[in-house]
Amino acid sequence: MRPDFPLPDTTWEPTAEFWAGAARHELRIPFCARCGRGCWYPRERCRSCGGAEFEWRTMSGRGTLFSWVVVTHAFLPHFGDLVPFVPALIALDEDPAVRLATRVVDTDPDQLAFDLPMEVTFRPITFAGVDGSVTAPLFTPA
Amino acid sequence: MAAPHEDWGWATEYEDVSGAVAVCGVGESDHSKASGRTANQVVAQAVERALDDAGLAPADIDGLMYVPFGYQFDAAAFHEHFGTSHDIWESKAGGGMRWAASAPYEAALALRDKRATHILNSFGVAWATERSQMVGGPGESHAQELFKQNLEVPFGWFPQPVYFATVARRHMHEFGTTEDQLGAVAVACRRHANLTPGAVMHDRPLTLEQYRQSRLIVAPFRREDCCLISDGGGAYIMTTPERARDLGPPVVEVAGVGLGNSVTGTHWAEQPAFTSTPQVFAAPVAFQMAGLTPADVDVYTCYDPFTIHTVMQIEDSGFCEKGGGGEFVAGDALQFDVGRLPTNTHGGLLSHAYVLGIAHVVEVVRQLRGEAAAQVRDARVGIYGGYTGPQAATLILRRP
Ligand SMILES: [Zn+2]
Repeated sequence: MRPDFPLPDTTWEPTAEFWAGAARHELRIPFCARCGRGCWYPRERCRSCGGAEFEWRTMSGRGTLFSWVVVTHAFLPHFGDLVPFVPALIALDEDPAVRLATRVVDTDPDQLAFDLPMEVTFRPITFAGVDGSVTAPLFTPA
Repeated sequence: MAAPHEDWGWATEYEDVSGAVAVCGVGESDHSKASGRTANQVVAQAVERALDDAGLAPADIDGLMYVPFGYQFDAAAFHEHFGTSHDIWESKAGGGMRWAASAPYEAALALRDKRATHILNSFGVAWATERSQMVGGPGESHAQELFKQNLEVPFGWFPQPVYFATVARRHMHEFGTTEDQLGAVAVACRRHANLTPGAVMHDRPLTLEQYRQSRLIVAPFRREDCCLISDGGGAYIMTTPERARDLGPPVVEVAGVGLGNSVTGTHWAEQPAFTSTPQVFAAPVAFQMAGLTPADVDVYTCYDPFTIHTVMQIEDSGFCEKGGGGEFVAGDALQFDVGRLPTNTHGGLLSHAYVLGIAHVVEVVRQLRGEAAAQVRDARVGIYGGYTGPQAATLILRRP
């Protein structure tokens, strides 16, 4: 395993643009050049039409809360400093079929609700025992 | 088929193998928490017991099926253990999870083509002993997957309890499923384990009230919504129904098999039908092959890493409408003696042992023979619903 796990490998080609965008505070997602749908996760072919050309677009950073959980047990030792925390899936406004795995921050979990409007906030993420940080798209209620 | 989004998967084309293969011997290892045993020791013990059960000698086994990953009880391991040297046909289309349901299909073809006469499928883990500090058995392979490493793990959306608690909360939203309904699944499994001497949780009762009071680990999941981590394994031997009739145990034959696949694999965030399993594709194939319907099923088992999987697979296999699973499992509906669908009657992955489904098949066979600990009265048709996430398979067994 990489020594900086569980930080992302920002150089891994399929998701490099996602992480490069995050460093610029832009939420970047690939869209199919043929059918116009969001293609997430990035794949070689569009799941909807089979198209092989993609255009990375900058999202508004708005979406709705598709589902979430409240983690109170650190499944990795690296998560020890984070608990409790709230991993979530956000359906993006530009294509709600795109569900972004992320973390909800600055919010009491009791205030969360299905389809709640959410917006992106770019924050450095760090993990216990791991050097460095990476800027990541996290979410708060809009 | 009641799939809300049929574009997300498909059923594998299967030939009709109904009545072409029988299970003539079953065995389980001792199941435990961390025990210091190796996977080889665990599987070898289960295999010895399956041979004893069938009344066969090691030299009678001329076909071996095992899992495509992890520890493999292959011909070399078999010969090493039993001191044999005969020719053995081998297939990696066996093992636990969905393969414990679909292995009989591959075995039926091998029997038909005379590649083997007695085919043994085995699976075992020593994950309780091996559990690494970092991830532990089930999470390990997911941590290696690069999309997960780069799009899920950095956000803490990892490992399996986190994904499936997310699925469970969405299921609650879409269909009104409640925590008490998930609790009913856990309580039924525990009651069955309390009746089953070999179950890891044999001595640990669980009431719905205790479930409600237990600690949330990834809300909406409590500890009791999640499977065990165990050392243990199982094995079953397959042959033609004709040969099975010449052996000791009552004949249990395969009535139908189906295999379903999801296009999005282990990336559940991508799965359009977020609250479904590929059982929606597998179960109709198996029922059609068997000439049976869900109403004919006396005992049901399914791969149950989390309580929500039992709810979803009951729906996806057609025991109720999609979304009706929570209501269906409520109260004592899954209990072996009073329930409408006796389910995971040995305790399942939740309370028997996390041996990835191989013991579920052993349990169904015992139920159909009338030899189970929590015996369903006059059980004639039983199911194992196997699951890996990317795939699910339905195995329908019957007493002819
Ligand atoms: Zn397309």
